[in-house]
Amino acid sequence: MSHEALHVQHLHPMPTEAQLAGELRFKVVGRLDTHDMPRPVSGRKVRLPWVSIAVLAIIALGCLLANIIAPGDASYMDLASPAKAPCAQYPFGTDMMGRSIFAMIWHGGRVSLLIGVLATALSTVIAVVYGTVSGAGPVWLDTLMMRVTEIFLSVPSLLIVIFLQAILGPANVVSISVVLGVTSWPTIAKVVRTEVRQLRQSEYVVASRCMGGGFMHVLIHHFAPNFLSSIMFMVVMNVRGAIASESTLSFMGLGLPLEIISWGSMLSNADRALLTGAWWIILIPGLFLVVTLVCMTNIGNALRGEVNRGERNL
Amino acid sequence: MTRKNWIPYLIKKLAIFLASVLALSVIVFAVSRLSPGDPLVSYYGERTEKMSPAERRQTMERLGLNAPLTTQYVRWLEGALRGEFGISYKYKQDVLDVIAARIGNTLLLGLPGFLLTFVLALLLGILCAWREESWLDKIISKAGTVLSCVPEFWLSLVLILFFSVIWRLLPSSGAYTIGKENDIGDRLRHLILPMAVMILSHLWYYAYMIRNKLLEEIRADYVLLAKSKGLSRGQILFRHCLRGILPSYISLMAISVPHILGGTYIIETVFSYPGIGTLSYESARWKDYNMLMVLCMLTGVVIIFANMLGQIINERIDPRIRASEGLEVPTNEP
Amino acid sequence: MLNSDYVRVEHLSHRFHLTRKIAIDALKDVSFAIDRGEILGLVGESGSGKSTVARCVMGILKPTGGRVIYDGIDVNAAKLSRDENVRLQKERQIIFQDSGSALNPRMSVRRILSEPLDIHGLSRDREAREKLLIQNLDFVGLDPGVLESRPGELSGGQRQRVSIARALLMKPKLIVADEPIASLDVSIQAQIVNLFKHLQAEHGFTFLFIAHDLAMVEFLCDRVGVMSKGRLVELAPTRQLYDSPQHPYTKALLAAMPIPDPRRERSREIPVYHAPEYVTRQEWTRVGFDHYVLMER
Repeated sequence: MSHEALHVQHLHPMPTEAQLAGELRFKVVGRLDTHDMPRPVSGRKVRLPWVSIAVLAIIALGCLLANIIAPGDASYMDLASPAKAPCAQYPFGTDMMGRSIFAMIWHGGRVSLLIGVLATALSTVIAVVYGTVSGAGPVWLDTLMMRVTEIFLSVPSLLIVIFLQAILGPANVVSISVVLGVTSWPTIAKVVRTEVRQLRQSEYVVASRCMGGGFMHVLIHHFAPNFLSSIMFMVVMNVRGAIASESTLSFMGLGLPLEIISWGSMLSNADRALLTGAWWIILIPGLFLVVTLVCMTNIGNALRGEVNRGERNL
Repeated sequence: MTRKNWIPYLIKKLAIFLASVLALSVIVFAVSRLSPGDPLVSYYGERTEKMSPAERRQTMERLGLNAPLTTQYVRWLEGALRGEFGISYKYKQDVLDVIAARIGNTLLLGLPGFLLTFVLALLLGILCAWREESWLDKIISKAGTVLSCVPEFWLSLVLILFFSVIWRLLPSSGAYTIGKENDIGDRLRHLILPMAVMILSHLWYYAYMIRNKLLEEIRADYVLLAKSKGLSRGQILFRHCLRGILPSYISLMAISVPHILGGTYIIETVFSYPGIGTLSYESARWKDYNMLMVLCMLTGVVIIFANMLGQIINERIDPRIRASEGLEVPTNEP
Repeated sequence: MLNSDYVRVEHLSHRFHLTRKIAIDALKDVSFAIDRGEILGLVGESGSGKSTVARCVMGILKPTGGRVIYDGIDVNAAKLSRDENVRLQKERQIIFQDSGSALNPRMSVRRILSEPLDIHGLSRDREAREKLLIQNLDFVGLDPGVLESRPGELSGGQRQRVSIARALLMKPKLIVADEPIASLDVSIQAQIVNLFKHLQAEHGFTFLFIAHDLAMVEFLCDRVGVMSKGRLVELAPTRQLYDSPQHPYTKALLAAMPIPDPRRERSREIPVYHAPEYVTRQEWTRVGFDHYVLMER
């Protein structure tokens, strides 16, 4: 509908251009000069952890450019030199099967990071849909859905992961992402649900619905901006959690097989490395893993924002 | 809560608890039956392969595996209520006997580890809150954040690498040296590394929460009042503020159970410590479903119970949580 | 009483269920009508059901009994045509009490004002929209500088003006204001009420004004309804109601109005109204021109 069409509906003629320019036909009492108003600083301050971002960026870039940094097949086994300590040819040494750890770090990092992102994307989508439906739905549906999440949370996730792995067949990158994704949504869903439940009572949402805003409109314009900031922290933590879970599962032999290189599967023959004291096989992939997780934690914590507590009384 | 209505409250909580356990059993049963693999294998192992089709049919009939899933579930549930969970395929023993033989080891590692974690977390939390924003607080915070990011399995590997392989100070696996089952000193030496991993990887997470709770507490108005009465900082902190955070501390302990339990299972596996965790891991690898089902139920019940305990404590601390459940004014959206 | 066919509130009842056992009758058999272009005030103590009436008229709440007819459309009908829905959404606008929560704190004033336009896909042209927004801000006495501000940066009075501007944007025929001045300072209250009076005279919308400040209602409204305990107890043209209140509750309410003369204020006696615990039979009685009272029989 055009601007003109609006006029027709109105009971009174619209002011002319001249009136708009200042000659309004009525005087507004108590005109306020908005420029004089002090503007309070609102919102929490987010101080970005630049060091963590930089380190994470370097690791991610290295993984992306794995083919340039360490060209060739990372799973190539130099059978002549297994468990070789770091040297000129192999900067990080080789593992028990004679594979270059340096090459595996970058190629395997791709897999680890990819699993983290895929699993989190999946769980976030599930969580947002589930949480919004639960929060915006009638009370009985909400109660039911929240009970389901509680039961879901009470089943040991290791078990669900193992069973799902069994159903999906031999583990690969996608299947393990799906498994980790469908087991890690409830906590985010709960936060989304709580936010939506509070917001839908708020007057601006009621006003929006009165104006004719449909469910999608309210979700995009009112719900999402509010819960996004509170789940951003959890989303980053979820990436971290998925990477850690993948490495734990692969290490235990319940995740990716040895042939699919990830930071976790690189550690899965650590027990043999332990016997020979080949520290580089254990320490180097683990250090990359831990540094990545620490950077993500710092970024996540920064996203949560700093709490300004004020003066202490003690 | 008034004295009068705590009985119905408790009954309601008990009903929810039982309903959750029942739901858990349905899920566990369904998943175990839906998962691929020959169900007969979990009863007879490799012998299944030598059975003739007729024999197979007969055995299936006898075990009731041809009955609809609902009937099978009811039968399984009846058996479970009588304490009959079947035979472990891997150990060829009654499932409960295998678990009974190992649960003591898990408790020996888990309970002291759990308590130590929380005692140390409280001390660390108090220290950091006392010296808020000092270099000590900052260093502990940074180190704690890093340490809490380290996956349990890798921390275990690193400690084994240094303490067992390189310096040869401590044993790297098992609960005791063979032949020294009753030597307490030997058992304790085997506990040091797993327990250290358990404490190190969870300590800061909880210490940080306690620190933040305390920081909120020392900003309460009553602290000013206590100060004006002339109490010393130590007296205020230990007599008043600590009492203030006590309920949240206890509920934190309850809520942390699943988290710490999961960690313990992984730690047990890495250290080949003969407990419930290692057993779960082995059952999963060997597809010993009877065993896995019981272990899942066991773990699930503990977790449900701990969650419920935490919830009850939280509701008692903050009546608004309880009110918000029942007293929601229904509205009809336009 | 129901002498108009513009907005008709017919035998409206609403019951809130607090728990399964406890229920509150927020509204009991409330009926009245609003004429086109009229300012109707609803007064009463808090909890008397005024806001519930407003929410039922806006269709935010579905009444458990009775109905609201807006210009021939049953507001709470299960099925409305698309046309009717769009008409209801455009022609009725609500202004809430707390402008702090009625405006999304994350949105700039520009986005807040654009929201109804976006929903209905109106004035997509950028320049036309800009002009429209500035014009509507001007109506409520705000300058275009606030467009980029967020609600948190504005004062309570400014925020309420933004709320009003948002309501005006749709060129509504009916504005329902649910205690729009209750959360403002007294000096700002006067400004906003003055603004309402000007805007109504200028734009000619019908206005349902809900408040508990009797002086403001007297100044602004053409007719006033008095509510008590979920019932409408008296309805009359403003002058008549203030000059000769009939219902004991109205009398008590008016008597409680402070008199701006300390000597008289101190010496007078204020009657206290106790609502009867059990109401037997009550009936609407016409006591004067357009003046109705709920009387016991």
